Amino acid sequence: MPGLIRASVWHEMTIAAAPSPSAAEDSAATGFAHRAVREPALMIGLALIGVFVTLAVFAQVLATHDPYAQDLTRRTIPPLWYAKGNWDHLLGTDPLGRDYLARLLFGARISLLIGFCVAALAGVIGTVMGLAAGYFGGKVDIAVSFLVTTRLAMPVILVALAVVALIGSSLVVVILVLGLLKWDRFAVVIRSATQQVRSLDYVTAAEAIGASRWRILFGEILPNVAPHLIVVATLEMASAILLEAALSFLGLGVQPPLPSWGLMISEAKAYMFFSFWLIALPGGALAVLILAINLVGDGLRDVLAPDGRG
Amino acid sequence: MVWQGRWMMAGKWIVGFVLALGVFVAPLPASAGKADNSIRFAYDQAPENVDPYFNNVRIGVIIGQHVWDTLIYRDPQTNEYKGQLAESWKQIDDRTYEFMLRQGVTFHNGDEFDADDVVYTLNFVSKPESKVVTQTNVSWIDKAEKIDKYHVRVTTKKVFPAAIEYFAGPVVIHPHAYYEKVGPKGQNEKPVGSGPFKVTAYSPGKSITLERNPAYFKASPKAQAKINRIDIRFIPDRQTQLAEILSDGLDFIMSVPKDQADQLQAVPTLQVVSGETMRIVFMQMNILDNTPAPALRDERVRRAINHAIDREAMVKNIVGAGSRPLATICFPTQVGCTDEGAARYAYDPAKAKALLAEAGFANGLDLDIVAYRERNQTEAIIGYLKAVGIRTNLRFLQYAALRDVITSGKAMLTHQTWGSFSVNDTSASTPNYFAFRAEDITRDETVRDLLNKGDNSVDLATRKDAYKGALKIIADKAYAVPLYSLPVYYAAAAALDFKAYPDELPRFWEMRYK
Repeated sequence: MPGLIRASVWHEMTIAAAPSPSAAEDSAATGFAHRAVREPALMIGLALIGVFVTLAVFAQVLATHDPYAQDLTRRTIPPLWYAKGNWDHLLGTDPLGRDYLARLLFGARISLLIGFCVAALAGVIGTVMGLAAGYFGGKVDIAVSFLVTTRLAMPVILVALAVVALIGSSLVVVILVLGLLKWDRFAVVIRSATQQVRSLDYVTAAEAIGASRWRILFGEILPNVAPHLIVVATLEMASAILLEAALSFLGLGVQPPLPSWGLMISEAKAYMFFSFWLIALPGGALAVLILAINLVGDGLRDVLAPDGRG
Repeated sequence: MVWQGRWMMAGKWIVGFVLALGVFVAPLPASAGKADNSIRFAYDQAPENVDPYFNNVRIGVIIGQHVWDTLIYRDPQTNEYKGQLAESWKQIDDRTYEFMLRQGVTFHNGDEFDADDVVYTLNFVSKPESKVVTQTNVSWIDKAEKIDKYHVRVTTKKVFPAAIEYFAGPVVIHPHAYYEKVGPKGQNEKPVGSGPFKVTAYSPGKSITLERNPAYFKASPKAQAKINRIDIRFIPDRQTQLAEILSDGLDFIMSVPKDQADQLQAVPTLQVVSGETMRIVFMQMNILDNTPAPALRDERVRRAINHAIDREAMVKNIVGAGSRPLATICFPTQVGCTDEGAARYAYDPAKAKALLAEAGFANGLDLDIVAYRERNQTEAIIGYLKAVGIRTNLRFLQYAALRDVITSGKAMLTHQTWGSFSVNDTSASTPNYFAFRAEDITRDETVRDLLNKGDNSVDLATRKDAYKGALKIIADKAYAVPLYSLPVYYAAAAALDFKAYPDELPRFWEMRYK
């Protein structure tokens, strides 16, 4: 039944006809992989993220201590490479005697969880709004543009602080607040991408064969604006992780004793002058993770939109 | 022409540079600290109002004792009472005190001190409508009457044996004409007292400058100040304070956390002095009818919380030298304070878990905790609670906000501290939290009646008995979690000669540079 074939494929089959569809997709895929491998930044970023994800997933196995178990008799032990370090706590302990390695590993979970969830939530909201605005135009576009402008007028950190101060802080609240605030870039990018795509022939073709709007939006347009989506998603993920760290640092993020990196930095602040590693380790971990995500985002942008490269 | 232009350009640059430099340098005094015989002091909280009756933070007490005077003075070394604004005093009967006032004392604005000042101040602050923040300090005063210009009679509402201790502590005397005209608001904007230092500059929430009062009366038991000026800055962030004292931007800080104090000891330009204070640390539990945490109304839950926390380990490892674990909500040296016969809760997480399970919380319990200082101690408490299955939601607030949460009945658990205004009598501590005052979130009538009896009996044995009874009930029913007394660590410039006292009151009038 022709109706089941995606109109974009149909479009390639019937109008562009020339190479066979499977060959076209093959060459697109190999081209992508080819370009990706030649992008060292992307590869490094992916490798680093891979390491972080592995550490986070296997935190339970890798950590030799419970990240919550405090032992006030074993406080502020320095990491192994200091003279007073010991093998039992590779990265030392914090001022409440909790194993720092375990807290860093479990902290990676929290950071990644927040990054993924916020990007996903904001992505869904922003994409739906952007698709609708770009495809329907007119009043829908005006309404969405108004919402985006309104949202852009509100400083994220300030709104997040106010909301968290009002209803209290927890992991879920932080994810919801950031997710509900950070959709603007998705909406703007997807809207303009949709505007470009909607006048292309395969969309017209889909309209001509009577495909439903739903189907056109999510079956035809969405897959073709997806590269933009992925790039924005990586950027937003990095920014969400940083925002959580900032909120936790200000004491309004996740709750102690949850081992969030931002909270660890905040708690270590008092020890900055004399126990430098306490602030350097979570700070360094945070910086490397953000760098990795941004490298991936940058690399993906170059690979997915080769025409945009200089 | 070209040359001239160049020189003009260069001239403009130089002028600009000098101006820019001026902007950066101007806020700093030309020389400070030892060089100009001043002390730069930073504190992490700011008083809501400098008038000592309208704040209850430590820095307010410190400023209060420097800018104002009290009728009586308690010598911190001998604990002996000496006349300050009063030359002498005598107790006429159980409820009446008579003061012979000192002559020739003047306030900073030139007003002469006499009986009118005492009468006006005492009658004003003891009226409930005046809304003095800590009612304990003044609510015992019934009235003050002028007998003649230098002669005052004060009556207490009930028998109140601790009165002298209060006259020597929080009850400062304001100049009546000025106070009548401007009130507490004016005293905050432009404070006027009679003390060894006078306020010369004040920007609320930021800084206050006290300068030596050259006309301070010689007969005062407070010494004539040797330091010319105290620059007090309110710096909420302790790291900034540490950074400043390390880089010679400050000469004196207090309440340095133990870990940092230990490290500062190695710095040659600084000295670290520590000692126990009267400040007690404890947790309150809201068991009012409308408590947001009904679980706390179950005695087993409260006992579990008491068993969950390892006071000894906290004292030894994170609180520091000069601290001791407490079993009752008062400071051991306060008259009437005892832990004899009161239930003790040893650190026993297994028992805490069992008690929680028995109360129906085998899967744990979620509670809010509010706190305002020593966050590392709060986090240790949170860690101990988590270990027995109590998950907490921390709200770390400014003191005024914390007090609002408590007085409005919205608190569940609190991490509180109380310095009793340095009053060495149980009437200044326990009743504040258990005699139906604003911050009482327990409200046990028997406890209240016993505390009132302790506050208002003449016979010392009767008082001690009553307090003992109240403290025993509080402990036995686990109404609160007594934790430990708090030491205070001072860090100061090595050249500064100073002595620390257990009442947490640095006496700048005694200090001098070596």
